[in-house]
Amino acid sequence: MGKTIAITGNTAAALGAALSRPKVIAAYPITPQSSVVEYAASMIADGQLQSSMVQVESEHSAMSVVQGAAMAGARTFTATSAQGLALMYEPYFRMSTLRLPMVMAVAGREMTAPETIWSGHQDTISVRDAGWIQIYVEDNQEALDMIIQGYKLAEDKDVLIPVNICYDGFYISHLYEGVNIPEQSEVDAYLPPYKQEHVILDPEKPMAVDPMTPGNLVMKYRKSHLDAMQRAFAVLDKADKDFGDQFGRYYGGTVEEYKCDDADIVLITMGAMSGTAKAAVDEKRAQGVKVGLLKIRMMRPFPKQQVAKVLADKKAYAVIDKNVVFGWNTGAVYMETQAALNQLGYKIASLPVIGGLGGADISLEHMTNVIEKLEKMNKGDDEQECYWLED
Amino acid sequence: MNYIELLDKKPDLVTPGTSACQGCPAELSLRATLKVLGENTIMCIPPGCMAGAGCVGWNFDSGLKVPVHITLLDNTAAVLTGINEAHGRDVTVAAFAGDGATSDCGFQSLSATAERGENVIYICYDNEGYMNTGFQRSGSTTKGSMTSTTPVGEVGKGKEQQKKDLPLIMAMHNPAYLATLSPSHMSDFVKKMEKAKSIKDGFVYLHIFSPCPTGWGFDGAKSIEVARKAVETNIFPLYEVDHGEYKLTVPNKNPKPVSELFGMMKKFRHVSEQGIQDVQNYVDKKYKTLQALVGQE
Amino acid sequence: MARDFITPKGDEGIYQIDTASWRTYKPVMDKDICVECGICLTYCPVNSIHKENEKYIIDLSYCKGCGICANECPKKAIDMVTEGDK
Repeated sequence: MGKTIAITGNTAAALGAALSRPKVIAAYPITPQSSVVEYAASMIADGQLQSSMVQVESEHSAMSVVQGAAMAGARTFTATSAQGLALMYEPYFRMSTLRLPMVMAVAGREMTAPETIWSGHQDTISVRDAGWIQIYVEDNQEALDMIIQGYKLAEDKDVLIPVNICYDGFYISHLYEGVNIPEQSEVDAYLPPYKQEHVILDPEKPMAVDPMTPGNLVMKYRKSHLDAMQRAFAVLDKADKDFGDQFGRYYGGTVEEYKCDDADIVLITMGAMSGTAKAAVDEKRAQGVKVGLLKIRMMRPFPKQQVAKVLADKKAYAVIDKNVVFGWNTGAVYMETQAALNQLGYKIASLPVIGGLGGADISLEHMTNVIEKLEKMNKGDDEQECYWLED
Repeated sequence: MNYIELLDKKPDLVTPGTSACQGCPAELSLRATLKVLGENTIMCIPPGCMAGAGCVGWNFDSGLKVPVHITLLDNTAAVLTGINEAHGRDVTVAAFAGDGATSDCGFQSLSATAERGENVIYICYDNEGYMNTGFQRSGSTTKGSMTSTTPVGEVGKGKEQQKKDLPLIMAMHNPAYLATLSPSHMSDFVKKMEKAKSIKDGFVYLHIFSPCPTGWGFDGAKSIEVARKAVETNIFPLYEVDHGEYKLTVPNKNPKPVSELFGMMKKFRHVSEQGIQDVQNYVDKKYKTLQALVGQE
Repeated sequence: MARDFITPKGDEGIYQIDTASWRTYKPVMDKDICVECGICLTYCPVNSIHKENEKYIIDLSYCKGCGICANECPKKAIDMVTEGDK
């Protein structure tokens, strides 16, 4: 059953990676991700982890090294944040479009400028259309567990898409929590070694990986990638169930519902703020307000059916985004939720909310304020302009 | 087996019909390279002439008979690292990259790969510019050269800066083996490539001079003649650095003036006497540096 | 051929183009002058020259007609002649 110890989210991520037995790790330090790299390096130095670790000179090279290793068939791991992810963009896009499965942890950080090193979702949100699967977690345990599940998802032959496990910088990366560390043997049983078949750089089997490809074939490859994205919902659900059966922790797959069944109004959150949102729901429930929480776990692909299923009979919902979409005065999760509901034919009153940028606090009071706005909307108030959670 | 027999008998691992220009010495160098490195090789070719000429492949067909991947323009050395880490040392992991991908945007990843001492072979074919995209200037373009981004006009006089000396910069990274190669000196070329293949204890950097008939403006039949002239004028001295030991493999006791090379092609046609003298001075100084490193003051 | 469109890969054959069709001049070797030194072979970018039965021969299947062999031959045993002339 493993053992439970108090560790940071970064340590949890490094342990999750180590338990997944990557052959090659390449990473470059950046706040708030650095201790992932340090912890992995110390495990290798102590002989506890048999990976080859490449101390690269940039995130661009980190992703390039793991891309090379993945083309040669290795399971790989890296981690980054914000500017590092931005620098990585070129090989990041290549990794997913070559359909090379891997897991990259992202300790979410706001994008500069203004110069900041603190928490945010803007880094991963800005690259949500680069072909990766993106999963956001709420706490340290989920970070560790989802890195292991991430490999299961990424390496599934129906998927073959790399996975980002996104956890909020500082709020998760640096905070200590009790985390159960599974036994290696249990993880080995859940996650068998990966054997790559679709491409391989091996003199025994010469092939060109990514020769020049004309547009009609690019269309086919892209469509196949998009189709695989849609298959990822079911594969994640199964990975979640198998994981729960083995380790006793179920997360709900693409979304987590919290007291939504009889709710009239719903808060939608992603990542670390979900804990505060649950407390706000409890507080308001105690006052007789029928409010629930929908936590988006999978942002790419966006689980529109699952989201619509939860919201279908609700009167109003608010989405709290820790990111912005320039040009829309909302965040990305709000836009995607709206798009999903519109496509599926639902018209529900909604409130876009933006908060927590650059590590700004999202307080319990913020959350209850949002719920109170939803209550008013439920009583007939018009849809509102974007609500910014300011001091 | 002497080098002629080797080039005759070893299997040609490049597609017989590439779309490289008539007389392209990069095509010659790539074929010779793979004849020596052999079938147990994984090759990376970033965007550039050789990739553009079909040496990576097209549709469902490969351009080489060994595994090949087109890297990004700027991450070739890092990709080599990853392949090598995944495979271990039973495979030759090599790159064949142009000077733009090497001396400009790929330099950061190259420098770090050399510093880490990865056991891979990075080969640069230096045609002094971005030839595949229409001869734009690179850091490796010789001063005075007309390129499509340093055109000659009322004010413009071609590239204003001296050529970045990439082999010497890479030599200062302390690689296990480094050499400069010219397709005009095939015996020397093959010997160095064989040495590179035998290195198992660190990073290998090879820099091949590769005159471009289309971009530089000379008849493709003269490609080898131009390459030879670059060696004879010390514009491209042939040397090697074997675990820190510098050696001029083709010593040049009586170098010819650089003007002899300048006169062979259109890209230098506008260059003034003073312009030629600038390059002559730079070449002389560089050669002195090299002689000092070799230990022949 | 049925293909799973996962990742672009070339493993069905070797990509090649008919470079022989580019030629306007072709190399012709005068065996009376040739001393079988092999210099032409070492410089042919297209790998068109081979030794067969102790003699160097030019295979025109992919020869682009660049003329390097003629230019480099120390004995001037190779002529570039207009396609179709001989």
